[in-house]
Amino acid sequence: MVGCDSRFDTFQPNEVFSLALAKTRSTSTDLASQDASRVVEELYGTPDEPLWPDLPAAKKAVSDERNLFRSSGPVSSEKDGTHLGLFREHCVTCHALEGSGAGPASAFQNPYPRDFRHGVFKWKSTKRGHKPTRRDIRELLVRGIPGTAMPSFALLEPEDLDALVDYVVFLSARGEVERRVTAAAIDELDYGETSPVAELMLSSQSGTEGGQVVQDVVGRVHTDWAEAEEHEVVVPYFPELSGEQLAASVTRGKAFFHGKVANCAGCHGPAGDGSLPTLDYDDWTKEYTTRIGLTPDDRAAMKPFRDAGALRPRTIAPRTLGDGVFHGGGDSASLYRRITQGIAGTPMPAVEVVSESNGKGLTDGQIWDLVRYVQQLSTSH
Amino acid sequence: MASEVNLVEQKGRGQLVHRLSVLLVCLVWPLIWVGGLVTTYDAGMAVPDWPGTYGYNLFLYPYKTWLLGPFDLFIEHGHRLLGAVVGLVAIAIAITAYFKESRRWVFFLTLGLLGAVITQGLLGGMRVVLGDRTLAMVHGCFGPAFFALCAATAVITSRRWNDYLTREKATNIGSGVATLFAAIPVFSYSQLLLGAQLRHVQPNAAPGIFAMIVATHVFMAFLLWVVTFAAWFKIRRCGDLTLSRPARLLIGLVAVQIALGVGTWVVNYGWPSILAWVPGSAGFLVRAKGFSDSIIVTAHVATGSLILAVSVMLWIRLLRVRHCRDSAIERLITEQPASTRSFKTEDKTNESLLEPATA
Repeated sequence: MVGCDSRFDTFQPNEVFSLALAKTRSTSTDLASQDASRVVEELYGTPDEPLWPDLPAAKKAVSDERNLFRSSGPVSSEKDGTHLGLFREHCVTCHALEGSGAGPASAFQNPYPRDFRHGVFKWKSTKRGHKPTRRDIRELLVRGIPGTAMPSFALLEPEDLDALVDYVVFLSARGEVERRVTAAAIDELDYGETSPVAELMLSSQSGTEGGQVVQDVVGRVHTDWAEAEEHEVVVPYFPELSGEQLAASVTRGKAFFHGKVANCAGCHGPAGDGSLPTLDYDDWTKEYTTRIGLTPDDRAAMKPFRDAGALRPRTIAPRTLGDGVFHGGGDSASLYRRITQGIAGTPMPAVEVVSESNGKGLTDGQIWDLVRYVQQLSTSH
Repeated sequence: MASEVNLVEQKGRGQLVHRLSVLLVCLVWPLIWVGGLVTTYDAGMAVPDWPGTYGYNLFLYPYKTWLLGPFDLFIEHGHRLLGAVVGLVAIAIAITAYFKESRRWVFFLTLGLLGAVITQGLLGGMRVVLGDRTLAMVHGCFGPAFFALCAATAVITSRRWNDYLTREKATNIGSGVATLFAAIPVFSYSQLLLGAQLRHVQPNAAPGIFAMIVATHVFMAFLLWVVTFAAWFKIRRCGDLTLSRPARLLIGLVAVQIALGVGTWVVNYGWPSILAWVPGSAGFLVRAKGFSDSIIVTAHVATGSLILAVSVMLWIRLLRVRHCRDSAIERLITEQPASTRSFKTEDKTNESLLEPATA
């Protein structure tokens, strides 16, 4: 057995995605996956020696590339108390070296640890289809997620938190580039049972069509990260109410909770206790199950994916609102964003914000009514 | 036989060895605590050189820098200093045993003790020099074994060790009971090894392997508890408090250890779904590097070592009691004419026969 400060020469390829891709494209993805791993390693380095691609198309998405060095590699510390190998010290047991969310201790956790490689994060201040800001990730690290294994890292040094944020961005960008490059190899570069011609081979260098595809993917992913702040949800002013005004607002919120537009009760239950049975899955699970036509309960169909490292498919449960525990934060601004954007990667839908009440969405005032009802629901239990 | 009787006459000569052995036991358990804290805080590489500390001789490192510096440096250097003190005491024991201890095998035992502490120090040093956590795990697993050896030495060099020979009443311990008590240190140490696998888990270990180790660790914890209870039940009325009391203590220690194990899981991974009924578990927040949380985790490590040491101590005492009883029977056989032998020899088919018998 080797411990968590052992050296690792390479990131494991994303075999689960490769299998799912093979199923949807009805072709072998082995060569594409193999070349994508090679190219991604040339661009992003290894778990012990990470790199940050210096491509013209790639915008700067990490604050300080030295943070990648601090967070990667074996655990150690320096004379002044500076810790190195932060990701392996704090995160790897759950999130795994690649950020796949399938670390050694992941099987016991519900929900499973986040797979960063999709580039999708639940708890953020940006619009649903966009990346979280660095501040979102940092706040999540400080706050932790109550009721789950995700700890609060509030006791860590601020520099350590910054380094971890950069490394999470690094792993996410690296993993997403690997996925997109593999898919592009099949869809755009004629990869299949055999390798394509040299011009179309995946390459980390520009000058060929294969190299250009890689540059485009890296540019897109990095730009998404770099421009995340431009997509923050603007939260309107939240009027503090009390007495009869608050009671009236809560009553209206209750009506929206059970109404047709928001229909929160449809999943969270009439009492907000999450008691209704659900058969839905999050997007990370759907990728290797329902989205490619496989039944999650079909053990034989799941076996190749499980062997490749996928976790056992598990249904996603709506939050029990009555216990007052909100994984992404229970403050009014967070709840507003959650209602208006839904939760990325989950079946939680968004409610459309309208300027005038029209039966298809809710106005800002109505959303605040709903927020107050949800907050009251959690405190009344 | 003659040598043993002679030993009784020389009672008191080896007491210094015993006192030093007890001192060693009292030093090694805190050493295990500090070592556990080093791992809990991932401070094993806080001092990159060895045997010195940042170029200084271990004992000459500026104490102000040590005491007022980073916490990682404080516990790692403290661990080394305490380890060095343990080494010095082990040397003192071996020297004292050479001059004071008439049992030659005990002298060799103390030499073994010294060899073990040197080995443990080398393992810790190589872990630092090579930056290899595999060695850290071996170092962590060897520590409790060394602690158990210290406890065994303290038992063997104690006055009570010889007192068993001269007791008017011999405690009758069957071989089945001895086997039951032998199982406790074996199970305890197996648990320590499994725990070390979880504590030093590979980043690329499969979740299934980790889950299997966790399941085995939990199952064996309860099995160990049952075995300690069964063992105590067998000797609860043996009439020898030096056996029955530690056996009862073991039941309590394993219970505490199970509670600490649950606590260790909770502070690392939150409440498991099987304990979701616990009030407050739904909103429990894990806090990385919290001091009290670290103490719980480290206490789990240290209590595991304590269980091993107590179970080894108890097992050795049990073997001694059995040996003394057999010696007493043998002595009676040789001293009395065959026609006058009236005592009842042990009924080998009844291994649970534990009533005090007149020797």
